[in-house]
Parts: sequence; C-alpha cells; structure tokens
Amino acid sequence: MIVFVSGGAKNGKTAFAEDIAVRLCGGGKRFYVATMIPYDAEDRARIARHIEERAEKGFETLELARDIGSAAALGGADGTYLVDSVTALLLNEMYPGSFDAEADPSAAERCRAGLARLTREAKHAVFVSDWLYSDAVRYDAFTENYRKDLASLDRLLAELSDTVIEMTAGIPVVRKGRMP
Amino acid sequence: MDFIIGGAYQGKLDCAKKRFGLTDSDVFACTEADGIAFGARCIDRLEEFALWCVKNGRDAVEIMRENRAAWADSVLICEDIFCGVVPLGADMRAWREETGRLAAYLAAEADTVTRVFCGLEERLK
Repeated sequence: MIVFVSGGAKNGKTAFAEDIAVRLCGGGKRFYVATMIPYDAEDRARIARHIEERAEKGFETLELARDIGSAAALGGADGTYLVDSVTALLLNEMYPGSFDAEADPSAAERCRAGLARLTREAKHAVFVSDWLYSDAVRYDAFTENYRKDLASLDRLLAELSDTVIEMTAGIPVVRKGRMP
Repeated sequence: MDFIIGGAYQGKLDCAKKRFGLTDSDVFACTEADGIAFGARCIDRLEEFALWCVKNGRDAVEIMRENRAAWADSVLICEDIFCGVVPLGADMRAWREETGRLAAYLAAEADTVTRVFCGLEERLK
C-alpha cells in the first residue's frame, strides 16, 4: 500500500506517518529513509537522537539523501519504507554540491522517476511532504521554481497513492482512499 | 458559475479543463499588469486580478458585481493564498485581504465550489 501525507509544518505529519508505517509493516522490516543532510554538529546530534527514537519503534535507518529509487533495492522488496521528506529529497537533488551552485534543472524529473520506482518496488511506502502553496508571498524565481517542482512531485505521489492524507493539527483528513 | 480554489500548482486549471471540456483558447488568465477581461468561458488567476485592484485602487468584488452577467456561466479559478504568515508589506497584506473578499463573494455566488489538493478534487459546495 502506498500512502502520501501532506500538510503544513508542525502538524504531526512525521509521528502520524511513523504510526502508519508500523501498522502497514505487520511486524516486518520497516525502514526510515533519512533524507536530511547534516551540515553541522547540531544537525548530527539531532539526527542521532531521531535514530534512537525511531529504533524504539522498530525502524532501521536508511541514509538516502538522493537516488530515492534505489531504496527498495537496498532494503528489500518486502520492506515498508517511510520517506520523510519529499521536500528535502528535492532540495538534495537540486543542489548536489553546495547551495551556491546553480540548481540542477533535471532534479525534479529524477525525483519523479525515483519516487515512482519506489512505489512499484516497495511492498508498502509512506511519503511525507510539506504544504507550501497557500501564502500571499511573491517569491524569487528560485523559490518559485522549487515550489512548482515540489508540487509536481506531490501530485505524482497523490496519483500513485492508495491513500492521501492531509494533516491538520495532528488530525488526519483522508483526501483519497481509506485510512490504512 | 463554477468556482475552483486551491493552493499554487495543485492542478486547478487541469481540473477545470477536464471537468468542463475546456481548451487553452477558452481560458483567460488575469494578470497583475492588466487585470481582468470578461467573456471567456474560464477566468483563471483571479488572485492576480485582486492584486491589480489593489495597485489601481479598485474594488474587486464591486467590479465582479457590475459584470455579473458576463461571468454567470463561467468557470472561475482563484489561488488560495490565505495560509501563510501575515505579509509584512502593506500591498501584500491588502492583496491577501482583497483576494479573500473576492473568493468569499464568488464562493457564495457559485453553483459549485471545488477545492483542488495535490490534483485531487474536493467538492465544497
């Protein structure tokens, strides 16, 4: 089963997605696909804490900042994969070197192909993305382009998913399919 | 009139085209520079019309009311720009306010209201 979770920041998307992944895996292997690239000691400390917390829920951590399509090849086709977040994944693919370089124009296409591959190869997958589409701001061209590309990933995942959930204040609202 | 609302890049126009069998030539897109024109089967980007109103000291709801007959059978599309932090610039604050008033007026006048979320349609009215 494929589940897509979106919603605004700090609405409980990650905790909800973890619970869904635990439920779906039925005691089987579950992987937390870690997409965040640590840039300093503070990041590394936070990541270490998260890995420990998730271990208590039975997750193995799969460090995969890029090339999301290879996740099921690494962890096995019978696994359950929690990808948190699509937002970070796109950013990592856009700026593989440093943020000072030009964004890679093929990043979104690569992400779409990789995400689609994971939905085909994984037994279960839960994807978490962020809602960045409803504010009254005129962004610069780079940010606007990023929003547009992220939306194309979100829409693809919504299409490929059995269930689409929008989180609001920790409450899941089913937008497609049924609650797993 | 059918009213479609949703966040940026969520597939609002695709939804309108599919549901009402529209092609590109049926769609008029409002702009910040030129505002609105009536007569098309579908008027897209009403939030840009609202920004034109702010910049030109006009009232979006009043203009829509005066031209009601021209859009009474159209499909109207507006972006949801209402969930962010209160904008710092006075113009952007006024834009959000104007767009909100416009959206509320159109939703009240509409036969159907649809929200588009990640390409998924939700009928609100």
